[in-house]
Amino acid sequence: MTTTTTLHRATAAASVPALRPERKVRPSVFGTVVLLVGALYCLMPVAWVLVASSKSAGELFSTFTFLPSTHLLDNIGELSAYRGGLYWRWMANTALYAGVGAAVSVLVSSMAGYALAKYRFAGKTLVFNLILAGVLVPGVVLAVPQYLLLAEVGLTNTYWSVLLPSLISPYGIYLCRIYAGASVPDELLEAARTDGASEWRTFSRIAVPLMGPGLVTVFLFQFVGIWNNFMLPYIMLGNDRLYPITVGLNGLLNQGASQPAMYTSVITGALLSIVPLALLFLTLQRYWKVDLAAGSVKA
Amino acid sequence: MRLHTGIRVAAAVAATALLATACSSGSGDSGDDTADGSGGKVELTFWTWAPGMEEAVAVWNEANPDIQVTVNKQDGGDPAVTKLLTAIQAGSGAPDLFQTEYQKIPTLVSEDALADIADVLPDGTAERFAEGTWQSVTLGGDAVYGVPQDSGPMQFYYREDVFQQYGLSVPTTWEQYAQVAEQLHTADPSKYLGTFSANDAGWFTGLTQQAGASWWGIDGDAWSVDIESAPVQKVAEYWGGLVEKGVIDNKPMYTPEWNAALNDGSQVGWLSAIWAPGVLQGNAPDTAGKWKMAPMPQWEEGDDATGNWGGSATSVTSQSTHKAEAAKFIAWLNASQEGVNLLVSEGGLYPADIPSQAEALSSPPEFFSNQADFYTLAAETAKGVQPFTYGPNVNVAYSAYNDEFGKAAEAKQASLFLDAVTAMQATTVDDLENQGFTVTK
Amino acid sequence: MTTLAPPRAAATSGPTRRRGSRRRGAAPYAFLAPALTLFTLFLALPIGYAVYLSFRTEIVQGLGLGSGARQEVWAGFANYTRALQDPEFLASVGRVAVYGLLLVPTMLGLALLFALLLDSRRTRATGFSRISIFLPYAVPAVIASLLWGFLYLPRVSPFYYVFDQLGWDVPEVMSSGLVVFAIANIGLWGGVGFNMIIIYTALKSIPTELYEAARLDGASELMVALRIKIPIVMPSLVLTFLFSMIATLQVFAEPMTLRPLSNTISTTWSPLMKVYRDAFTRGDIYAASATSVVIALATFAFSYLFLRLVQDGRAFSQESK
Repeated sequence: MTTTTTLHRATAAASVPALRPERKVRPSVFGTVVLLVGALYCLMPVAWVLVASSKSAGELFSTFTFLPSTHLLDNIGELSAYRGGLYWRWMANTALYAGVGAAVSVLVSSMAGYALAKYRFAGKTLVFNLILAGVLVPGVVLAVPQYLLLAEVGLTNTYWSVLLPSLISPYGIYLCRIYAGASVPDELLEAARTDGASEWRTFSRIAVPLMGPGLVTVFLFQFVGIWNNFMLPYIMLGNDRLYPITVGLNGLLNQGASQPAMYTSVITGALLSIVPLALLFLTLQRYWKVDLAAGSVKA
Repeated sequence: MRLHTGIRVAAAVAATALLATACSSGSGDSGDDTADGSGGKVELTFWTWAPGMEEAVAVWNEANPDIQVTVNKQDGGDPAVTKLLTAIQAGSGAPDLFQTEYQKIPTLVSEDALADIADVLPDGTAERFAEGTWQSVTLGGDAVYGVPQDSGPMQFYYREDVFQQYGLSVPTTWEQYAQVAEQLHTADPSKYLGTFSANDAGWFTGLTQQAGASWWGIDGDAWSVDIESAPVQKVAEYWGGLVEKGVIDNKPMYTPEWNAALNDGSQVGWLSAIWAPGVLQGNAPDTAGKWKMAPMPQWEEGDDATGNWGGSATSVTSQSTHKAEAAKFIAWLNASQEGVNLLVSEGGLYPADIPSQAEALSSPPEFFSNQADFYTLAAETAKGVQPFTYGPNVNVAYSAYNDEFGKAAEAKQASLFLDAVTAMQATTVDDLENQGFTVTK
Repeated sequence: MTTLAPPRAAATSGPTRRRGSRRRGAAPYAFLAPALTLFTLFLALPIGYAVYLSFRTEIVQGLGLGSGARQEVWAGFANYTRALQDPEFLASVGRVAVYGLLLVPTMLGLALLFALLLDSRRTRATGFSRISIFLPYAVPAVIASLLWGFLYLPRVSPFYYVFDQLGWDVPEVMSSGLVVFAIANIGLWGGVGFNMIIIYTALKSIPTELYEAARLDGASELMVALRIKIPIVMPSLVLTFLFSMIATLQVFAEPMTLRPLSNTISTTWSPLMKVYRDAFTRGDIYAASATSVVIALATFAFSYLFLRLVQDGRAFSQESK
């Protein structure tokens, strides 16, 4: 264990770029081009949304796809005016579901992951295997029984119906267990206990700060997961004032045969919904270190 | 289908424990606290996706402080039914009022989702509607499962400017329609008189309805399924022939591509229904004033038959505890001059209520301001809507339509269109029998 | 990160009140309690309920109109036999297998390539490329499919416009032979960045000393990558492979969103679409539950076999003892 730990602390330091030995290396044109082609491929649909959301309803289907127009602000205005600013409410709902859901989920996952990594207790393997099995169950399969059970206690069509099922993340627990195993040395825990710290205090004052960057990753992971979730809120919610963005935009698109689909609003809405996540990625990009198998770097 | 005791107890215990720990913060303003009944004030929730409903409801709420209605806008059609049925199965969560498309009523009734409001509707409501329309909310019995809101008699919409440009005449029979389609496509291979949409089962149903088909029937205590019947086969073969020839497009409607084709004038005609102006205005706003509406082409010269595509009733759900108040609201919304005026002015709907039509529909829709007699002509075509019975598994037949006709349209082979009809019949009958319905052969 | 202040109440049930006492026996259970409670309520219970439903069915009497016409009864294994004999289900499994064989190797191959290039000292514009390639992960599958739908349809697509100008006759990507590529491409677009980040993280945690020596000996970047880097990140690759395969079996949102745009995606294109159709279009949650259980069991069996085969389950079971 000691070797793994020190190794990990070393790599944490090594990821600061400056520590990499600077040496004169010949830049590879080929490698750079391959990367840029990949970036282009990934950016192109996003660029398309940007262009498309600047077009009026008529232009969207009549002018060349990548020819920008001048109606972006009109479209945003129209989208904002839709049924009294409902779109922004969807945005706020999404932020609530994803923010609160991810924060609580991180707390729950970190406690569980810490327990699984740092204690020996009866039933540990069973619990861990159960949680792993949970990773494998598809959401579509769960949605209906979840709905029926929540309806039984009258919680469907409320914020709770989307929030509560989002709090449990088997994947998050799995990641937290890895982070706890890799970043929290047993000696530190023992030292804290010898000093008389309670188990909770040991966890919150020693383990959590050490797991910090990993926990941010789990938070981001869970945040994106909830942000992108469609099936659960789609089934749980009947009141459109509770919708998240995905369900709301889908509704604008599927208006039934006798209504035109609101393509312009959907596209503008899609663009605006990408912005917050893109910002989150940019500002927190150094935390995106999803290490699926950290413990195994024993080389 | 309710939860069974063991699970019910487990769920209740678990949820109580959960609530005890989770309810520290205030509960979200879910707006689902229907029917508190405090002080005689009644609150009703209304699931609908028809346009303008919030505005109409606001007028009602202003005048009826004791019966307050809240609109919950839904995704059109199928998703709303899905949600309602899930709520019915769960035993709670359904709204008081629900927008029901006519073809879904038998399904919803067989799932026990709709309340019978025959006793609480004002006298004379039935007389305000065409017989065929009223029959679709009673299913031929004494119970009343809703009040018709709007209907969708089908007409032929075409680009007058393009017709003039190529010297085409407006087809009055299907034979002429085929000729015009070929004439147009030969003159300009990028242009089509229409498309066969394997995604719009309601559209195809309307076309077969015009030809005299009725996909289901009630035969005493049993259902009959008549999808594989002469009129349906006639319609399928006709469209299969046009698609195979290539003079009609085979792409679905309501796609970005179809929108582009409406905009650039390569879809020159559209067999659609009375609500078409709103869709055209939304999808191709720049073509305003270039479209005209005409009655459907006929199978026999001189007929005036048509089908129905779309249209809904407003129903009270079986979970509502305020059926009388809900029925009072529905009668105002769908069967009073004030309500109908709002349906037309705010929602652009074609009201099913006949006495109110004259006043509400005095001028043509904005998009068709070039056709002053739009609603007079529409009212004439509406008289030709042929009788049709929907069964309790319309969704099964419709999704079979998507799959089977999707294959046929993609392959562009007329023979496959007939195979698709056979497959639809088999799937629909299988499903009914599987569920335990009595089906006559 | 110390601001993560959990409610004090959560701790009171634990062993923490008595300072200094060594009652660690209960501590792990206290830490696990919230997770296990939520797990039971929102995963185990619904799964159990789905299994229960899969053995039930509903019987209608006569015309089936009016209340009380439906009755729920035991069905035994009838739902399972129907699910397993349904040609549409088997066909959907076949399609998803093709989809997976196309998508997973391509996605992971590209993810590995990009990660190695990001980690290489010789490439430039790495910051820009990394964030760009990762960005699609932020786009919900429903929206991503809508965007690609626009780019696929010849009449509104910029690609077909260009092909047209060049005089090329390119077949429609949503036609029956190619539609699986169209769907796989959306999966690739959304997934390559995320997998790249996982592999890149693993690469970053390799101590540089491990390959500095090789470099000094004159090994090329390619040799370093093949001989040192890839073997070390193999455990991560194995896990990304596993998770990608699971995601493949569960493909749903992309074909579901693209379906109305063409004639070539049926309502039962993927197994989960069939579950959705049964549960929501047909209102037969019993058949849907049975199919779900079959899919879940297949996923378990597949994951287990895969891990046994690849590395005797080491990736999951290795302990930091």
